[in-house]
Amino acid sequence: MNASAPVVGAEHLSKWYGQVIGLNDVTLSVPPGITGLLGPNGAGKSTFMKLITGQLKPSKGSVTVLGEPIWGNPALYFRIGFCPEQDAFYERMTGLEWVTALARLNGLSESDAAATARRGLEMVDLLDAADKKIGAYSKGMRQRVKMAQALAHEPQLLILDEPLSGMDPIMRRKTIRMIKEWGRAGKSIIVSSHILHEIESMTANILLINQGRILAEGNVHQIRDLIDEHPHTVYIKADQTRALARAFLAHDDVLSLRFEDQAVVVQTGRPDAFYARLTDLAASGELGAIHEVTSPDDNLQAVFQYLVKT
Amino acid sequence: MPIHDQGYRRYGGSKAPLGQGWTVIARAGIRAMFAKRAFLGLLLLAWLPFFVRAVQFYAAANLPQAAVLAPTPDTFRQFLDQQATFVFFVTVYCGAGLIANDRRANALQIYLSKPLTRAEYVFGKLAILATFLLLVTWVPGIVLLIVQMSFAGNFTFLRNNLFLFPAITVFTFVEVLLVAMTMLALSSLSNSSRYVGILYAGVIFFSSAVYGVLYAVTRSTMFSWISFPANLEQLGNVIFRQPPRYDTPWPVSLFMIVLVIALSGVILERRVRGVEVVA
Repeated sequence: MNASAPVVGAEHLSKWYGQVIGLNDVTLSVPPGITGLLGPNGAGKSTFMKLITGQLKPSKGSVTVLGEPIWGNPALYFRIGFCPEQDAFYERMTGLEWVTALARLNGLSESDAAATARRGLEMVDLLDAADKKIGAYSKGMRQRVKMAQALAHEPQLLILDEPLSGMDPIMRRKTIRMIKEWGRAGKSIIVSSHILHEIESMTANILLINQGRILAEGNVHQIRDLIDEHPHTVYIKADQTRALARAFLAHDDVLSLRFEDQAVVVQTGRPDAFYARLTDLAASGELGAIHEVTSPDDNLQAVFQYLVKT
Repeated sequence: MPIHDQGYRRYGGSKAPLGQGWTVIARAGIRAMFAKRAFLGLLLLAWLPFFVRAVQFYAAANLPQAAVLAPTPDTFRQFLDQQATFVFFVTVYCGAGLIANDRRANALQIYLSKPLTRAEYVFGKLAILATFLLLVTWVPGIVLLIVQMSFAGNFTFLRNNLFLFPAITVFTFVEVLLVAMTMLALSSLSNSSRYVGILYAGVIFFSSAVYGVLYAVTRSTMFSWISFPANLEQLGNVIFRQPPRYDTPWPVSLFMIVLVIALSGVILERRVRGVEVVA
Protein backbone atom coordinates (compact mmCIF):
# COMPACT_ATOMS: atom_id res chain seq x y z
CA MET A 1 0.00 0.00 0.00
CA ASN A 2 1.19 3.52 -0.85
CA ALA A 3 2.53 5.25 2.29
CA SER A 4 0.34 8.28 1.71
CA ALA A 5 -2.73 6.31 0.66
CA PRO A 6 -5.70 6.77 2.99
CA VAL A 7 -5.95 4.17 5.74
CA VAL A 8 -9.73 4.37 5.74
CA GLY A 9 -11.93 5.40 2.87
CA ALA A 10 -15.70 5.68 2.84
CA GLU A 11 -17.95 6.32 -0.14
CA HIS A 12 -21.53 7.36 0.54
CA LEU A 13 -21.45 5.22 3.64
CA SER A 14 -24.78 4.90 5.43
CA LYS A 15 -26.05 2.69 8.19
CA TRP A 16 -29.64 2.35 9.33
CA TYR A 17 -30.87 0.53 12.39
CA GLY A 18 -34.40 -0.14 11.23
CA GLN A 19 -35.97 3.32 11.01
CA VAL A 20 -33.09 5.03 12.82
CA ILE A 21 -30.13 6.30 10.87
CA GLY A 22 -26.74 5.78 12.48
CA LEU A 23 -24.55 7.17 9.74
CA ASN A 24 -25.77 9.28 6.87
CA ASP A 25 -24.09 9.30 3.45
CA VAL A 26 -20.54 9.76 4.67
CA THR A 27 -17.74 10.17 2.14
CA LEU A 28 -14.28 10.67 3.55
CA SER A 29 -10.71 9.48 3.56
CA VAL A 30 -8.57 9.17 6.65
CA PRO A 31 -4.88 9.82 5.99
CA PRO A 32 -2.05 7.89 7.65
CA GLY A 33 -1.02 9.14 11.09
CA ILE A 34 -3.20 9.93 14.07
CA THR A 35 -6.77 10.96 13.40
CA GLY A 36 -9.22 11.95 16.07
CA LEU A 37 -12.90 11.13 15.71
CA LEU A 38 -14.94 13.58 17.68
CA GLY A 39 -18.59 13.84 18.42
CA PRO A 40 -21.09 13.87 21.23
CA ASN A 41 -22.85 10.73 22.41
CA GLY A 42 -25.18 9.41 19.73
CA ALA A 43 -23.36 11.30 16.99
CA GLY A 44 -22.50 8.16 15.04
CA LYS A 45 -18.93 7.66 16.28
CA SER A 46 -19.53 4.12 17.46
CA THR A 47 -21.40 3.24 14.27
CA PHE A 48 -18.48 4.56 12.25
CA MET A 49 -16.03 2.59 14.41
CA LYS A 50 -18.07 -0.58 13.99
CA LEU A 51 -18.25 -0.08 10.23
CA ILE A 52 -14.51 0.43 9.86
CA THR A 53 -13.78 -2.60 12.04
CA GLY A 54 -16.09 -4.72 9.89
CA GLN A 55 -18.48 -5.50 12.71
CA LEU A 56 -21.40 -3.89 10.94
CA LYS A 57 -22.31 -4.22 7.30
CA PRO A 58 -23.00 -0.89 5.59
CA SER A 59 -26.63 -0.39 4.61
CA LYS A 60 -25.39 1.62 1.66
CA GLY A 61 -22.04 2.68 0.26
CA SER A 62 -18.66 1.16 0.87
CA VAL A 63 -15.80 1.33 3.30
CA THR A 64 -12.20 0.32 2.70
CA VAL A 65 -9.48 -0.11 5.29
CA LEU A 66 -5.81 -0.17 4.26
CA GLY A 67 -7.01 -0.25 0.68
CA GLU A 68 -9.28 -3.30 1.03
CA PRO A 69 -12.96 -3.70 1.78
CA ILE A 70 -13.29 -4.58 5.45
CA TRP A 71 -16.68 -6.30 5.44
CA GLY A 72 -16.29 -10.08 5.18
CA ASN A 73 -12.51 -9.78 4.94
CA PRO A 74 -11.12 -11.30 8.16
CA ALA A 75 -7.61 -11.52 6.68
CA LEU A 76 -7.45 -7.75 7.06
CA TYR A 77 -7.65 -8.12 10.84
CA PHE A 78 -4.06 -9.34 10.86
CA ARG A 79 -3.20 -5.71 10.07
CA ILE A 80 -5.66 -4.02 12.39
CA GLY A 81 -5.79 -3.65 16.15
CA PHE A 82 -9.07 -2.72 17.75
CA CYS A 83 -9.60 -1.53 21.30
CA PRO A 84 -13.34 -1.39 22.02
CA GLU A 85 -14.94 1.06 24.39
CA GLN A 86 -16.74 -1.64 26.38
CA ASP A 87 -14.95 -4.02 28.69
CA ALA A 88 -14.60 -7.45 27.13
CA PHE A 89 -12.91 -9.62 29.70
CA TYR A 90 -12.94 -12.90 31.47
CA GLU A 91 -12.36 -11.51 34.93
CA ARG A 92 -10.81 -14.76 36.15
CA MET A 93 -8.05 -14.63 33.56
CA THR A 94 -4.84 -12.76 34.19
CA GLY A 95 -3.93 -9.89 31.89
CA LEU A 96 -1.17 -11.99 30.37
CA GLU A 97 -3.43 -14.98 29.76
CA TRP A 98 -6.04 -12.79 28.12
CA VAL A 99 -3.65 -10.95 25.80
CA THR A 100 -1.89 -14.25 24.97
CA ALA A 101 -5.19 -15.92 24.07
CA LEU A 102 -6.08 -13.04 21.75
CA ALA A 103 -2.59 -13.02 20.24
CA ARG A 104 -3.15 -16.71 19.44
CA LEU A 105 -6.20 -15.67 17.42
CA ASN A 106 -3.86 -13.50 15.39
CA GLY A 107 -2.15 -16.64 14.19
CA LEU A 108 0.81 -16.70 16.58
CA SER A 109 2.08 -19.93 18.06
CA GLU A 110 1.65 -20.49 21.80
CA SER A 111 5.19 -19.46 22.78
CA ASP A 112 5.28 -16.53 20.34
CA ALA A 113 1.89 -15.37 21.57
CA ALA A 114 3.07 -15.32 25.18
CA ALA A 115 6.18 -13.34 24.27
CA THR A 116 4.15 -10.95 22.11
CA ALA A 117 1.61 -10.49 24.89
CA ARG A 118 4.37 -9.58 27.33
CA ARG A 119 5.71 -7.02 24.87
CA GLY A 120 2.22 -5.58 24.42
CA LEU A 121 1.72 -5.30 28.16
CA GLU A 122 5.12 -3.71 28.50
CA MET A 123 4.18 -1.11 25.90
CA VAL A 124 1.18 -0.04 27.96
CA ASP A 125 3.18 -0.11 31.17
CA LEU A 126 1.26 -3.05 32.61
CA LEU A 127 3.90 -5.75 32.79
CA ASP A 128 4.04 -5.57 36.59
CA ALA A 129 0.37 -6.51 36.80
CA ALA A 130 0.50 -9.07 33.98
CA ASP A 131 -0.07 -12.02 36.30
CA LYS A 132 -2.89 -10.41 38.26
CA LYS A 133 -6.46 -11.41 37.54
CA ILE A 134 -8.29 -8.86 35.37
CA GLY A 135 -11.05 -8.79 37.97
CA ALA A 136 -8.62 -7.03 40.28
CA TYR A 137 -7.66 -4.38 37.69
CA SER A 138 -8.67 -0.74 38.04
CA LYS A 139 -10.63 0.91 35.25
CA GLY A 140 -7.45 2.48 33.88
CA MET A 141 -5.64 -0.86 33.90
CA ARG A 142 -8.54 -2.47 32.07
CA GLN A 143 -8.29 0.21 29.40
CA ARG A 144 -4.58 -0.43 29.07
CA VAL A 145 -4.90 -4.22 28.86
CA LYS A 146 -7.45 -3.71 26.07
CA MET A 147 -4.93 -1.51 24.30
CA ALA A 148 -2.24 -4.14 24.82
CA GLN A 149 -4.30 -6.77 22.98
CA ALA A 150 -4.92 -4.29 20.17
CA LEU A 151 -1.28 -3.53 19.55
CA ALA A 152 0.46 -6.76 20.62
CA HIS A 153 0.42 -8.20 17.10
CA GLU A 154 1.88 -4.99 15.66
CA PRO A 155 -0.96 -3.84 13.46
CA GLN A 156 -0.57 -1.18 10.81
CA LEU A 157 -3.76 0.49 11.93
CA LEU A 158 -4.90 0.91 15.51
CA ILE A 159 -8.53 1.75 16.13
CA LEU A 160 -9.10 2.98 19.66
CA ASP A 161 -12.64 3.62 20.82
CA GLU A 162 -12.65 6.05 23.76
CA PRO A 163 -9.32 4.72 25.06
CA LEU A 164 -8.93 7.34 27.77
CA SER A 165 -12.27 6.89 29.47
CA GLY A 166 -11.93 6.02 33.13
CA MET A 167 -8.22 6.76 33.33
CA ASP A 168 -6.80 9.02 36.01
CA PRO A 169 -5.11 12.23 34.83
CA ILE A 170 -1.57 10.82 35.10
CA MET A 171 -2.41 7.69 33.17
CA ARG A 172 -4.33 9.79 30.69
CA ARG A 173 -1.25 11.90 30.04
CA LYS A 174 0.92 8.78 29.74
CA THR A 175 -1.53 7.21 27.30
CA ILE A 176 -1.71 10.32 25.17
CA ARG A 177 2.08 10.35 25.04
CA MET A 178 2.06 6.65 24.15
CA ILE A 179 -0.41 7.18 21.31
CA LYS A 180 1.68 10.03 19.95
CA GLU A 181 4.78 7.82 20.08
CA TRP A 182 3.03 5.06 18.16
CA GLY A 183 2.01 7.66 15.62
CA ARG A 184 5.62 8.80 15.32
CA ALA A 185 6.70 5.15 14.97
CA GLY A 186 4.68 4.94 11.77
CA LYS A 187 1.42 3.44 12.98
CA SER A 188 -1.84 4.87 11.81
CA ILE A 189 -4.26 5.45 14.65
CA ILE A 190 -7.91 6.37 14.68
CA VAL A 191 -8.98 7.41 18.13
CA SER A 192 -12.46 8.40 19.14
CA SER A 193 -13.46 10.58 22.03
CA HIS A 194 -16.13 12.99 23.06
CA ILE A 195 -13.64 14.96 25.13
CA LEU A 196 -12.23 17.47 22.76
CA HIS A 197 -9.09 18.60 24.50
CA GLU A 198 -7.93 14.97 24.74
CA ILE A 199 -8.01 14.62 20.99
CA GLU A 200 -6.52 18.05 20.52
CA SER A 201 -3.54 17.00 22.63
CA MET A 202 -2.96 13.94 20.42
CA THR A 203 -3.45 15.27 16.93
CA ALA A 204 -4.51 18.22 14.84
CA ASN A 205 -6.10 15.93 12.29
CA ILE A 206 -9.70 15.42 13.20
CA LEU A 207 -13.06 14.21 11.98
CA LEU A 208 -16.03 15.95 13.51
CA ILE A 209 -19.20 13.92 13.49
CA ASN A 210 -22.71 14.77 14.57
CA GLN A 211 -26.13 13.27 13.89
CA GLY A 212 -24.63 10.66 11.62
CA ARG A 213 -22.90 13.16 9.38
CA ILE A 214 -19.29 14.24 9.13
CA LEU A 215 -19.35 17.93 9.96
CA ALA A 216 -15.75 18.62 9.09
CA GLU A 217 -12.49 16.80 8.46
CA GLY A 218 -8.88 17.81 8.32
CA ASN A 219 -6.62 20.03 10.35
CA VAL A 220 -8.32 21.72 13.27
CA HIS A 221 -6.95 25.12 12.21
CA GLN A 222 -8.24 24.67 8.67
CA ILE A 223 -11.57 23.79 10.13
CA ARG A 224 -11.40 26.95 12.17
CA ASP A 225 -10.79 28.91 8.95
CA LEU A 226 -13.88 27.37 7.45
CA ILE A 227 -16.04 28.89 10.11
CA ASP A 228 -14.76 32.42 9.90
CA GLU A 229 -18.22 33.70 9.29
CA HIS A 230 -19.01 32.79 12.86
CA PRO A 231 -18.27 35.41 15.52
CA HIS A 232 -15.05 34.90 17.39
CA THR A 233 -15.19 35.52 21.12
CA VAL A 234 -12.37 37.32 22.93
CA TYR A 235 -12.19 37.70 26.70
CA ILE A 236 -10.13 40.71 27.85
CA LYS A 237 -9.33 41.36 31.48
CA ALA A 238 -8.25 44.94 31.92
CA ASP A 239 -8.21 47.95 34.29
CA GLN A 240 -10.47 50.14 32.17
CA THR A 241 -12.97 47.83 30.60
CA ARG A 242 -15.50 50.59 29.77
CA ALA A 243 -12.91 52.69 27.96
CA LEU A 244 -11.80 49.64 26.03
CA ALA A 245 -15.39 48.85 25.12
CA ARG A 246 -15.88 52.35 23.74
CA ALA A 247 -12.75 51.97 21.60
CA PHE A 248 -13.90 48.59 20.29
CA LEU A 249 -17.36 49.87 19.37
CA ALA A 250 -15.83 52.37 16.98
CA HIS A 251 -15.15 49.52 14.57
CA ASP A 252 -17.80 47.68 12.62
CA ASP A 253 -16.23 44.20 12.97
CA VAL A 254 -17.27 44.17 16.64
CA LEU A 255 -20.62 42.47 16.68
CA SER A 256 -21.46 42.38 20.38
CA LEU A 257 -19.98 43.21 23.72
CA ARG A 258 -20.67 42.44 27.37
CA PHE A 259 -19.02 42.95 30.74
CA GLU A 260 -17.96 40.23 33.15
CA ASP A 261 -16.34 41.19 36.47
CA GLN A 262 -13.10 42.94 35.50
CA ALA A 263 -13.36 41.85 31.91
CA VAL A 264 -15.03 42.66 28.65
CA VAL A 265 -16.13 39.89 26.32
CA VAL A 266 -16.19 40.86 22.66
CA GLN A 267 -17.54 39.04 19.64
CA THR A 268 -15.86 39.97 16.40
CA GLY A 269 -16.40 38.99 12.79
CA ARG A 270 -12.77 39.67 11.84
CA PRO A 271 -10.52 38.29 14.56
CA ASP A 272 -7.25 39.12 12.76
CA ALA A 273 -8.05 42.85 12.51
CA PHE A 274 -9.37 42.90 16.06
CA TYR A 275 -6.24 41.30 17.51
CA ALA A 276 -4.04 43.72 15.59
CA ARG A 277 -5.86 46.73 17.09
CA LEU A 278 -5.85 45.13 20.54
CA THR A 279 -2.09 44.64 20.36
CA ASP A 280 -1.66 48.29 19.45
CA LEU A 281 -3.88 49.38 22.33
CA ALA A 282 -2.01 47.22 24.81
CA ALA A 283 1.33 48.48 23.56
CA SER A 284 0.29 52.16 23.78
CA GLY A 285 -1.13 51.84 27.28
CA GLU A 286 -3.61 54.63 26.48
CA LEU A 287 -6.52 52.77 28.02
CA GLY A 288 -4.77 51.28 31.01
CA ALA A 289 -3.26 47.87 31.51
CA ILE A 290 -4.62 44.77 29.77
CA HIS A 291 -4.00 41.80 32.07
CA GLU A 292 -5.33 38.85 30.22
CA VAL A 293 -6.55 38.04 26.73
CA THR A 294 -8.06 34.67 26.13
CA SER A 295 -10.33 33.30 23.49
CA PRO A 296 -12.83 30.64 24.39
CA ASP A 297 -12.97 30.01 20.65
CA ASP A 298 -9.35 29.07 20.43
CA ASN A 299 -9.95 25.41 21.06
CA LEU A 300 -11.68 22.46 19.54
CA GLN A 301 -14.70 22.80 21.80
CA ALA A 302 -15.61 26.09 20.21
CA VAL A 303 -15.08 24.78 16.70
CA PHE A 304 -17.32 21.88 17.46
CA GLN A 305 -20.00 24.04 19.02
CA TYR A 306 -19.99 26.36 16.04
CA LEU A 307 -20.31 23.54 13.59
CA VAL A 308 -23.07 21.84 15.49
CA LYS A 309 -25.06 25.06 15.63
CA THR A 310 -24.97 25.53 11.86
CA MET B 1 31.31 -5.16 26.31
CA PRO B 2 28.60 -5.39 23.65
CA ILE B 3 25.74 -2.96 23.98
CA HIS B 4 22.43 -4.57 23.06
CA ASP B 5 19.67 -2.74 21.28
CA GLN B 6 16.92 -2.09 23.82
CA GLY B 7 14.47 -0.77 21.23
CA TYR B 8 11.25 -2.44 20.20
CA ARG B 9 11.75 -5.52 18.07
CA ARG B 10 9.15 -6.48 15.56
CA TYR B 11 7.75 -10.00 15.60
CA GLY B 12 9.65 -11.99 13.01
CA GLY B 13 7.99 -15.39 13.40
CA SER B 14 5.37 -17.00 11.26
CA LYS B 15 1.64 -16.52 11.59
CA ALA B 16 -0.95 -19.22 11.10
CA PRO B 17 -2.94 -18.68 7.92
CA LEU B 18 -6.55 -17.61 7.99
CA GLY B 19 -9.03 -20.40 8.74
CA GLN B 20 -7.29 -21.93 11.73
CA GLY B 21 -8.76 -19.65 14.37
CA TRP B 22 -11.29 -22.31 15.32
CA THR B 23 -8.50 -24.56 16.54
CA VAL B 24 -7.40 -21.86 18.99
CA ILE B 25 -10.97 -21.54 20.29
CA ALA B 26 -11.39 -25.30 20.50
CA ARG B 27 -8.06 -25.98 22.18
CA ALA B 28 -8.56 -23.24 24.75
CA GLY B 29 -12.06 -24.50 25.54
CA ILE B 30 -11.03 -28.16 25.84
CA ARG B 31 -8.13 -27.24 28.09
CA ALA B 32 -10.38 -25.10 30.27
CA MET B 33 -12.84 -27.98 30.70
CA PHE B 34 -10.11 -30.50 31.50
CA ALA B 35 -8.94 -28.15 34.24
CA LYS B 36 -12.26 -28.61 36.07
CA ARG B 37 -12.19 -31.51 38.51
CA ALA B 38 -15.95 -31.85 38.68
CA PHE B 39 -16.08 -32.22 34.92
CA LEU B 40 -13.35 -34.85 34.95
CA GLY B 41 -15.39 -36.70 37.56
CA LEU B 42 -18.41 -36.56 35.29
CA LEU B 43 -16.37 -37.94 32.39
CA LEU B 44 -15.12 -40.80 34.54
CA LEU B 45 -18.65 -41.53 35.68
CA ALA B 46 -19.74 -41.58 32.05
CA TRP B 47 -17.31 -44.41 31.42
CA LEU B 48 -18.75 -46.64 34.16
CA PRO B 49 -21.29 -48.32 31.84
CA PHE B 50 -18.41 -49.10 29.53
CA PHE B 51 -16.62 -51.02 32.27
CA VAL B 52 -19.81 -52.86 33.18
CA ARG B 53 -20.23 -53.88 29.54
CA ALA B 54 -16.57 -54.89 29.33
CA VAL B 55 -17.05 -57.20 32.30
CA GLN B 56 -20.18 -58.58 30.62
CA PHE B 57 -18.22 -59.28 27.42
CA TYR B 58 -15.43 -60.89 29.37
CA ALA B 59 -17.85 -63.16 31.20
CA ALA B 60 -19.68 -64.09 28.01
CA ALA B 61 -16.41 -64.98 26.30
CA ASN B 62 -14.82 -66.89 29.15
CA LEU B 63 -17.58 -68.34 31.36
CA PRO B 64 -19.91 -70.88 29.76
CA GLN B 65 -22.55 -70.12 32.45
CA ALA B 66 -22.65 -66.53 31.24
CA ALA B 67 -23.32 -67.36 27.59
CA VAL B 68 -26.67 -65.58 27.85
CA LEU B 69 -24.72 -62.36 28.26
CA ALA B 70 -23.16 -62.72 24.80
CA PRO B 71 -23.35 -59.40 22.96
CA THR B 72 -25.70 -58.73 20.09
CA PRO B 73 -26.00 -55.61 17.93
CA ASP B 74 -28.77 -54.55 20.29
CA THR B 75 -26.25 -54.59 23.16
CA PHE B 76 -24.40 -51.73 21.48
CA ARG B 77 -27.64 -49.93 20.78
CA GLN B 78 -28.60 -50.28 24.47
CA PHE B 79 -25.17 -49.08 25.54
CA LEU B 80 -25.55 -45.89 23.52
CA ASP B 81 -29.05 -45.48 24.95
CA GLN B 82 -27.58 -45.59 28.45
CA GLN B 83 -24.97 -43.04 27.49
CA ALA B 84 -27.77 -40.58 26.62
CA THR B 85 -28.00 -39.65 30.32
CA PHE B 86 -24.34 -38.70 30.36
CA VAL B 87 -24.73 -36.92 27.04
CA PHE B 88 -27.34 -34.75 28.73
CA PHE B 89 -25.15 -33.89 31.74
CA VAL B 90 -21.99 -33.31 29.68
CA THR B 91 -23.97 -31.08 27.31
CA VAL B 92 -25.37 -28.98 30.13
CA TYR B 93 -22.10 -28.77 32.05
CA CYS B 94 -19.83 -28.09 29.11
CA GLY B 95 -22.11 -26.45 26.58
CA ALA B 96 -24.32 -24.03 28.46
CA GLY B 97 -21.63 -21.39 28.91
CA LEU B 98 -19.83 -21.82 25.62
CA ILE B 99 -21.35 -18.76 23.96
CA ALA B 100 -23.32 -17.33 26.89
CA ASN B 101 -20.14 -16.65 28.85
CA ASP B 102 -18.56 -14.90 25.87
CA ARG B 103 -21.69 -12.81 25.51
CA ARG B 104 -21.65 -11.91 29.19
CA ALA B 105 -17.99 -10.89 28.96
CA ASN B 106 -18.58 -8.97 25.69
CA ALA B 107 -15.81 -11.13 24.27
CA LEU B 108 -17.45 -11.61 20.89
CA GLN B 109 -16.69 -8.05 19.85
CA ILE B 110 -12.99 -8.60 20.47
CA TYR B 111 -12.86 -12.14 19.06
CA LEU B 112 -14.50 -11.02 15.85
CA SER B 113 -12.10 -8.11 15.45
CA LYS B 114 -9.37 -10.74 15.09
CA PRO B 115 -8.76 -12.85 11.97
CA LEU B 116 -11.62 -15.15 12.92
CA THR B 117 -14.90 -15.54 11.07
CA ARG B 118 -18.20 -16.14 12.81
CA ALA B 119 -18.34 -19.59 11.25
CA GLU B 120 -14.90 -20.42 12.64
CA TYR B 121 -15.96 -19.19 16.06
CA VAL B 122 -19.07 -21.38 16.05
CA PHE B 123 -17.11 -24.32 14.67
CA GLY B 124 -14.51 -23.91 17.42
CA LYS B 125 -17.23 -23.92 20.08
CA LEU B 126 -18.93 -26.87 18.41
CA ALA B 127 -15.62 -28.74 18.41
CA ILE B 128 -15.29 -28.30 22.18
CA LEU B 129 -18.68 -29.79 22.97
CA ALA B 130 -18.45 -32.42 20.24
CA THR B 131 -15.08 -33.60 21.56
CA PHE B 132 -16.48 -34.33 25.00
CA LEU B 133 -19.71 -35.81 23.68
CA LEU B 134 -17.82 -38.15 21.37
CA LEU B 135 -15.65 -39.04 24.33
CA VAL B 136 -18.69 -40.44 26.11
CA THR B 137 -20.44 -41.95 23.08
CA TRP B 138 -18.39 -42.81 20.01
CA VAL B 139 -15.08 -43.54 21.76
CA PRO B 140 -16.48 -46.02 24.35
CA GLY B 141 -18.75 -47.52 21.67
CA ILE B 142 -15.83 -48.26 19.35
CA VAL B 143 -13.55 -49.34 22.19
CA LEU B 144 -16.28 -51.70 23.35
CA LEU B 145 -16.31 -53.28 19.92
CA ILE B 146 -12.54 -53.77 20.14
CA VAL B 147 -12.88 -55.13 23.68
CA GLN B 148 -15.44 -57.67 22.46
CA MET B 149 -13.00 -58.89 19.80
CA SER B 150 -10.16 -59.04 22.29
CA PHE B 151 -12.10 -61.09 24.81
CA ALA B 152 -13.63 -63.37 22.19
CA GLY B 153 -10.24 -63.87 20.57
CA ASN B 154 -11.77 -63.84 17.09
CA PHE B 155 -13.48 -61.55 14.56
CA THR B 156 -16.61 -63.66 14.19
CA PHE B 157 -18.94 -61.21 15.90
CA LEU B 158 -17.55 -58.26 13.97
CA ARG B 159 -17.65 -60.17 10.68
CA ASN B 160 -21.28 -61.13 11.29
CA ASN B 161 -22.16 -57.55 12.23
CA LEU B 162 -20.00 -55.48 9.96
CA PHE B 163 -22.53 -52.64 10.01
CA LEU B 164 -21.80 -52.00 13.70
CA PHE B 165 -18.79 -49.78 13.21
CA PRO B 166 -20.53 -47.43 10.75
CA ALA B 167 -23.74 -47.65 12.81
CA ILE B 168 -22.00 -46.54 16.01
CA THR B 169 -20.20 -43.82 14.09
CA VAL B 170 -23.22 -42.49 12.20
CA PHE B 171 -25.56 -42.60 15.18
CA THR B 172 -23.17 -40.95 17.63
CA PHE B 173 -22.18 -38.24 15.15
CA VAL B 174 -25.84 -37.45 14.38
CA GLU B 175 -26.60 -37.40 18.11
CA VAL B 176 -23.63 -35.18 18.89
CA LEU B 177 -24.38 -32.80 16.03
CA LEU B 178 -28.01 -32.46 17.08
CA VAL B 179 -27.29 -32.01 20.77
CA ALA B 180 -24.31 -29.69 20.31
CA MET B 181 -26.01 -27.46 17.75
CA THR B 182 -29.11 -27.18 19.92
CA MET B 183 -27.09 -26.31 22.98
CA LEU B 184 -24.95 -23.76 21.13
CA ALA B 185 -28.06 -22.10 19.73
CA LEU B 186 -29.57 -21.88 23.20
CA SER B 187 -26.27 -20.65 24.61
CA SER B 188 -26.24 -17.83 22.08
CA LEU B 189 -29.65 -16.65 23.28
CA SER B 190 -28.61 -15.68 26.78
CA ASN B 191 -25.79 -14.23 28.84
CA SER B 192 -26.40 -16.67 31.68
CA SER B 193 -25.09 -20.22 31.42
CA ARG B 194 -27.36 -21.27 34.29
CA TYR B 195 -30.42 -20.07 32.41
CA VAL B 196 -29.22 -21.82 29.26
CA GLY B 197 -28.82 -25.10 31.16
CA ILE B 198 -32.36 -24.82 32.45
CA LEU B 199 -33.61 -23.92 29.00
CA TYR B 200 -31.95 -26.96 27.47
CA ALA B 201 -33.38 -29.27 30.11
CA GLY B 202 -36.74 -27.62 29.47
CA VAL B 203 -36.55 -28.33 25.74
CA ILE B 204 -35.73 -32.00 26.36
CA PHE B 205 -38.27 -32.62 29.11
CA PHE B 206 -41.03 -30.44 27.75
CA SER B 207 -40.95 -32.07 24.31
CA SER B 208 -41.02 -35.51 25.96
CA ALA B 209 -43.80 -34.47 28.32
CA VAL B 210 -45.97 -33.18 25.47
CA TYR B 211 -45.46 -36.45 23.62
CA GLY B 212 -46.23 -38.37 26.82
CA VAL B 213 -49.53 -36.53 27.24
CA LEU B 214 -50.48 -37.13 23.60
CA TYR B 215 -49.59 -40.79 23.99
CA ALA B 216 -51.71 -41.06 27.11
CA VAL B 217 -54.67 -39.51 25.27
CA THR B 218 -54.37 -41.32 21.92
CA ARG B 219 -52.52 -44.49 22.98
CA SER B 220 -50.55 -44.07 19.77
CA THR B 221 -46.84 -43.41 19.33
CA MET B 222 -47.49 -41.50 16.09
CA PHE B 223 -46.67 -38.24 17.86
CA SER B 224 -43.19 -39.28 18.92
CA TRP B 225 -41.77 -36.78 16.42
CA ILE B 226 -42.64 -34.08 18.97
CA SER B 227 -40.14 -35.52 21.44
CA PHE B 228 -36.53 -34.50 21.04
CA PRO B 229 -35.11 -37.78 22.50
CA ALA B 230 -37.71 -39.98 20.78
CA ASN B 231 -36.58 -38.81 17.33
CA LEU B 232 -33.04 -39.82 18.15
CA GLU B 233 -34.20 -43.19 19.51
CA GLN B 234 -36.25 -43.86 16.40
CA LEU B 235 -33.38 -43.01 14.08
CA GLY B 236 -30.96 -44.98 16.27
CA ASN B 237 -33.02 -48.12 15.96
CA VAL B 238 -33.11 -47.78 12.19
CA ILE B 239 -29.35 -47.26 12.04
CA PHE B 240 -28.77 -50.30 14.27
CA ARG B 241 -31.20 -52.38 12.22
CA GLN B 242 -33.55 -52.77 15.16
CA PRO B 243 -37.35 -52.69 14.99
CA PRO B 244 -38.58 -49.08 15.27
CA ARG B 245 -39.75 -48.05 18.72
CA TYR B 246 -42.48 -45.67 17.58
CA ASP B 247 -45.14 -45.52 14.89
CA THR B 248 -43.69 -42.32 13.50
CA PRO B 249 -42.02 -43.08 10.15
CA TRP B 250 -38.26 -42.77 10.59
CA PRO B 251 -37.91 -40.22 7.75
CA VAL B 252 -40.15 -37.94 9.81
CA SER B 253 -37.83 -38.35 12.80
CA LEU B 254 -34.86 -37.67 10.56
CA PHE B 255 -36.60 -34.61 9.15
CA MET B 256 -37.23 -33.30 12.68
CA ILE B 257 -33.56 -33.80 13.57
CA VAL B 258 -32.42 -31.99 10.43
CA LEU B 259 -34.95 -29.24 11.11
CA VAL B 260 -33.66 -28.68 14.65
CA ILE B 261 -30.06 -28.57 13.42
CA ALA B 262 -31.00 -26.12 10.65
CA LEU B 263 -32.97 -23.96 13.07
CA SER B 264 -30.03 -23.92 15.45
CA GLY B 265 -27.81 -22.83 12.56
CA VAL B 266 -30.15 -19.96 11.75
CA ILE B 267 -30.22 -18.86 15.41
CA LEU B 268 -26.43 -18.98 15.59
CA GLU B 269 -26.12 -16.99 12.38
CA ARG B 270 -28.31 -14.26 13.83
CA ARG B 271 -26.95 -14.25 17.37
CA VAL B 272 -23.21 -14.69 16.95
CA ARG B 273 -22.19 -11.16 16.07
CA GLY B 274 -19.55 -8.82 17.36
CA VAL B 275 -22.15 -6.13 17.69
CA GLU B 276 -25.72 -6.74 18.64
CA VAL B 277 -27.96 -4.78 16.32
CA VAL B 278 -31.36 -3.94 17.69
CA ALA B 279 -33.37 -2.74 14.73
